[in-house]
Amino acid sequence: MKRRKLDVKQLPAKAAGELDDRFQLASPLRKVLTKVFPDHWSFLLGEIALFSFIVLLLTGTFLALFFDPSMTEVHYEGSYAPLRGIEMSKAYESSLTLSFDVRGGLILRQMHHWAALLFMAAIIVHMGRTFFTGAFRKPRETNWLIGVLLFWLGFAEGFIGYSLPDDALSGTGLRIAGGIAESIPLVGSWVSFALFGGEFPGDSVIPMFYILHVFLLPGILLALIGIHVGLVFIQKHTQWPGPRRTEHNVVGYRMFPNYVSKQGGFFMLVFAVIALMAGLFQINPIWLFGPYKAEVVSAGSQPDFYVMFLDGIVRLFPAWEITAFGFTIPAVFWPGIVGMGLFTMLPLMYPFLERRFTKDKGHHNLLQRPRDVPARTGVGAMALAFFVICTLSGANDVIADKFDISLNAMTWAGRIGLLVVPPIAYLMAYRICLGLQQHDREVLAHGVETGIIKRDADGRFYEVHQPLAQPDEHGHTHLEYNGWTVPKKMNRLGALAPTLKGFFRPIEQPPVPPTADGGEVEGGEKREEITAGK
Amino acid sequence: MSTELPASGEHGEKAEPFDVLDPNAARFELVKEALRRDGIEILHYEPRFPVPGTKEEKRIVRTISFFFVLSGLAALGFIVAYIWWPWEYEFGGADTWSKWYTPVLGALLGIALGGIGIGILTWSKKLFPVEELVQERHDGASDPVERRLTGATLANIGDETGIARRPMLKRALLFGAAPLGLAALMPIGGLIKDPGDALFTTGFDAEKFNGGKPVRLMREDGTLVRPEDVSVGGQITVFPAIPGGATLKHADSPTLLIHLREPDGAEARANAYEMNRGSQWQNFIAYSKICTHVGCPASLYEQQTNRLLCPCHQSQFHITDNAMPIFGPATRALPQLPIDVDEEGYFYAVSDYKVAIGPAFWEREKK
Amino acid sequence: MARFIAALAFVGATYTAFSPGIYADEPTDAALTLDAQKGKELFDQSCISCHGANAQGVDDRGPSLIGVGSAAVEFQVNTGRMPMVRQEAQAERKPPMFTPEEAAFLGAYIQAIGGGPEVPESVDLENLEGADIATGGTLFRVNCSSCHAFSTGGGALSSGKYAPSLYPASSVEIYQAMLSGPQNMPVFADNQLTPDQKRDLIAYIKYIQDDQAQGGWDLGAFGPSTEGLAIFLVGIVALAIATLWIAGKS
Repeated sequence: MKRRKLDVKQLPAKAAGELDDRFQLASPLRKVLTKVFPDHWSFLLGEIALFSFIVLLLTGTFLALFFDPSMTEVHYEGSYAPLRGIEMSKAYESSLTLSFDVRGGLILRQMHHWAALLFMAAIIVHMGRTFFTGAFRKPRETNWLIGVLLFWLGFAEGFIGYSLPDDALSGTGLRIAGGIAESIPLVGSWVSFALFGGEFPGDSVIPMFYILHVFLLPGILLALIGIHVGLVFIQKHTQWPGPRRTEHNVVGYRMFPNYVSKQGGFFMLVFAVIALMAGLFQINPIWLFGPYKAEVVSAGSQPDFYVMFLDGIVRLFPAWEITAFGFTIPAVFWPGIVGMGLFTMLPLMYPFLERRFTKDKGHHNLLQRPRDVPARTGVGAMALAFFVICTLSGANDVIADKFDISLNAMTWAGRIGLLVVPPIAYLMAYRICLGLQQHDREVLAHGVETGIIKRDADGRFYEVHQPLAQPDEHGHTHLEYNGWTVPKKMNRLGALAPTLKGFFRPIEQPPVPPTADGGEVEGGEKREEITAGK
Repeated sequence: MSTELPASGEHGEKAEPFDVLDPNAARFELVKEALRRDGIEILHYEPRFPVPGTKEEKRIVRTISFFFVLSGLAALGFIVAYIWWPWEYEFGGADTWSKWYTPVLGALLGIALGGIGIGILTWSKKLFPVEELVQERHDGASDPVERRLTGATLANIGDETGIARRPMLKRALLFGAAPLGLAALMPIGGLIKDPGDALFTTGFDAEKFNGGKPVRLMREDGTLVRPEDVSVGGQITVFPAIPGGATLKHADSPTLLIHLREPDGAEARANAYEMNRGSQWQNFIAYSKICTHVGCPASLYEQQTNRLLCPCHQSQFHITDNAMPIFGPATRALPQLPIDVDEEGYFYAVSDYKVAIGPAFWEREKK
Repeated sequence: MARFIAALAFVGATYTAFSPGIYADEPTDAALTLDAQKGKELFDQSCISCHGANAQGVDDRGPSLIGVGSAAVEFQVNTGRMPMVRQEAQAERKPPMFTPEEAAFLGAYIQAIGGGPEVPESVDLENLEGADIATGGTLFRVNCSSCHAFSTGGGALSSGKYAPSLYPASSVEIYQAMLSGPQNMPVFADNQLTPDQKRDLIAYIKYIQDDQAQGGWDLGAFGPSTEGLAIFLVGIVALAIATLWIAGKS
């Protein structure tokens, strides 16, 4: 009997056939393979957070092998000489061991921390993109809500993680958190006692935080991130308006091979940036801080940057304590509890508030350019200004010290700035939006500025404009603005050679002749097509 | 193979139906047919290099290969460095090999990962065909027919359970489920502890921690404190001299003992509140180190201006005026510890703090 | 300024009062040693305009230096804080105007006419080997880090004052500063922190300053604020450029 020869080339097809026999995959698989994704750089910002989260899970698992979340007092006997023989909690001792006596432990700890900062930073940037382009509008409000929750979960997860090493800096942070918890009217002291298992600091908070940090919160984060990404997949990504793009389609490339390869490559880049930062920049040198002691503190004590806005607003809030009928509402209650409540509720409610004010109940798949919605852009600028001032105030002592400014002046600048700057930011953003709109209309009516100055028979100088369509007898083109990018430079029209390419030596390329679909905006024909399609 | 399709957007318009099962059908025709069936239309599709093997293509292939190889080398370097680079912390080692362990690992790992990333991305950008497709969204509400059918089905399920018709069941279920939900919350109650008077007492409470004997002051290493230990213009952090007094068991007890200059001491005495009168011993004055704002150690003592600054939120307290807050978010003065010197020459606390130390809370006036 | 003068005067005066026996004899001008006489000459040229004849102080210009001791003088002069360029909230460290030798003469003079704390000769600050840096670290965190920060890089105080960075300070200068409590720094006299404890503390400071940062560049050791800045300026910027490249037309 002849042995049947194994045909390696036929193996994948055969395997696929066997799988389909059992799971009927052909049709759903193809839908995934050929799903179309729109392409824009700003759509990749959220991925930075997603990929950082994956790095966090990987590095966190490594750390969990060595970290011991116990508040039992031990004497440090590891290699870091300046702390040898000092009494400290097991949590701090194991964090030091992890940093100095585990091969490669320090870089993984630093990767974990940098990835956490990148996760939060990317969430903020991604949230800004979503907000300013109106991507949160119907039907995507749910994903906006989940996104806001993800920020706060990341905030909590990050703060708890920062507390785990039980060093003097994180212990100070924990003390502040306890102080804020105590400020809650009626139940404050009970909340604080529940948190610490008794009077601060107790000996149960680190073990409790540990289980929250490695199990409960990552679980919720993972689930919500899954839903967040799943909803993007189901609802399909928003896209920028442009040629052939309507509310009812997606223009872009297919999931395979283009989209997936770009995502895969980008994941590697995010991972690489985290690894580089973790290797080259020290983060959170806990060995300098020493074990937590109630009497130990350092000048320039701050939380990580994503908590700094909370610390900043607590620094700025005036000393207004209310005492009535023998009960006290501490000053820190207002920024610490009410303020954070507003920081949570206002973003959560924003999509619905905007719907109410604009009465826009429509279904939106096309993004808006920030300039086209000056009021929203203004509100965003206002919120951002508020956040930035709070965050800077969270480091106001470091700024005061390093830039030779009086500390008290910094506090006052923050207090006044918090009231004055956001409205100015609103007005400025609003005006800039209007100006940009104006310029878009101008280009549509008169054409692109060519930079060519001519002198007419009267001796007047004027700039030659390249109209975007056939002008009428007055030299005006009647193009309607429809949310697309308006070309502002001649090479955008394909009329000039593209700007020099090549990093080290310029690669000269002949100008690309204008083609029917080359530029982003071309003549008036297609524009009419879209308007007709609406 | 360049395909430019007319921009009609309406499918099903095609004249001749494509025979998918035709064994001679070209593969790309099959792909196009698949796309058509999925509501996807090709706007633009063109290979990067219609003529294979051009110089440009080879250059790009070489570039991509370079990045992959670079990545492999860096990864090997990472493994070698991880295993053989001296990594153990060296005492007093400035600029030793081991200090470069983490930077070297980070740089090599970064290059390894970045190389793969750049390679994949260049491949995707430079070698994959240029494509632009448009897919119908089919989003928004479901088809009205579907909605009606599903709605009716749901309503029917409701009727089948009969919950609307049988109010007694509804009420009984509510009665059964609500307490069960609360019962599930009970284990969290295990965390709840009655604060009792813990927030009102510190380690200086003689009754609670020292069998009624006045509590002496000690330093962090356990030595007792005499007046001559602190020079004029100096300050020292003191703790209750009880077992564990300087540990986190008494995290509310750290106290700042300040030796004021003569006129400042007199000023402080003159300014003292009713409650603080007599708490000073000569020019020595002791305040709780725990900030009344949110509990950081307020310990930046400025000996000329007699201010005490809290480094966390910049509250500033005036030492010669009952440690009243004069700047920043703190609202209340730092509690003053009444001190005296016993016959053996050691400082002791005459009594515990007279008000609750540390951050304010709802019932703090109840002491 | 009057407060300042009064303040410094009292530091010295009361210090002497509380440290009986050490600075017992009040030497007279005639009894000046050679060093002290050289110091007096320098004093009369450069310091007298603010600190007055015989270092008695001048109202609104400079405090009396009676009783401040040689540690204070040498610290102020060697770190360039004295002579001051102008009257300001806080004297800054700058290149010294006198050589260490001249500073020692000045110190000897002030010591001779008023007494005051001196760096004991028994402490070896040149060679810090054998000092217990773990103890020093504990003392540093309890007494020093609140103003000078964990990193020894200094920090802000109220209304424009600051605790300076300890990086430029020599071992002897740190010792002298603790002894004399310059400006707003509290005094840590030898009866509060023994000379050995001070030596441990200085050894710790020098150790962590000389110890090259573990795990890469410390970003100036300013804590989370520069880390936050770095994640945006390096991390986010690098990756935003990457997104532009990835999504760019090629």
